[in-house]
Amino acid sequence: MDINAYLIVAGILFSIGGLGVLIRKNLIVVFMSLELMFNAANLGFVAVSGYLNLISGDIFVIFVMVVAAAEAAIALGIAIAFYREKGTINIDKANELKW
Amino acid sequence: MLFYVFSIIAIYSALMVILSRNPLTSALYLVLCFFAIAGFYVILDMEFLAAMQVLVYAGAIMVLVVLVIMLLNLANAKNIPKDFHQMFIAVISFILLFFEIFLYAIKGSGKVPTGIYTTAFIKTIGNTQIIGEFLFTKYIFPFEVASILLLIAIIGAFIFARRKF
Repeated sequence: MDINAYLIVAGILFSIGGLGVLIRKNLIVVFMSLELMFNAANLGFVAVSGYLNLISGDIFVIFVMVVAAAEAAIALGIAIAFYREKGTINIDKANELKW
Repeated sequence: MLFYVFSIIAIYSALMVILSRNPLTSALYLVLCFFAIAGFYVILDMEFLAAMQVLVYAGAIMVLVVLVIMLLNLANAKNIPKDFHQMFIAVISFILLFFEIFLYAIKGSGKVPTGIYTTAFIKTIGNTQIIGEFLFTKYIFPFEVASILLLIAIIGAFIFARRKF
């Protein structure tokens, strides 16, 4: 399969993730859309590094997975703290830095 | 053929992640999407990354997300009002973003392969061994930084989830 097909699928997945970040109000769903964007980027890395006969892209995917795991722990900790404070996880309620 | 099956599954489940009302349904569709992406990695001859995708993403991160959804009892939090003005802007930027990525993919299609790690060469050594060799020789410093990052994430999650700040 041509590399452009993989890049287009990765682009579609990345755009869907970005759309989910923009239109959803639920903090957990926003977080899951963010994970979707990470995965689309990973797919692009693996496709390009397979096409150019390199290994660096595959190594980078492992580091992205490390960052995603760390981010999952932090983001879900924030979600729990936010729910405890507000009783909801609607991100429109996170308005204490607004004046 | 297999590529089209996986891409249809991945795109459909990605759409259902952002469109379904119930966060638990979104989480399960996201697991399906991760499995489809693991299928892409198998097609691209990176079986180690496919196994890591299933173990780390579908096995660890999504279990954590589902645990938080069930812990906070969010499965019936449906009455969040919609903001149609925001949705309009979001859909326009979605279309623009996809168009830009598409243009970028078309522009970069003149590159020729330069590396020595062809599929046949990787198959003679095994992709797990080759990734391990790279990870512990050329990329040893990012590897150590990643371990410190994970330590900081553990401490940060503990501090955030504590009852009193």
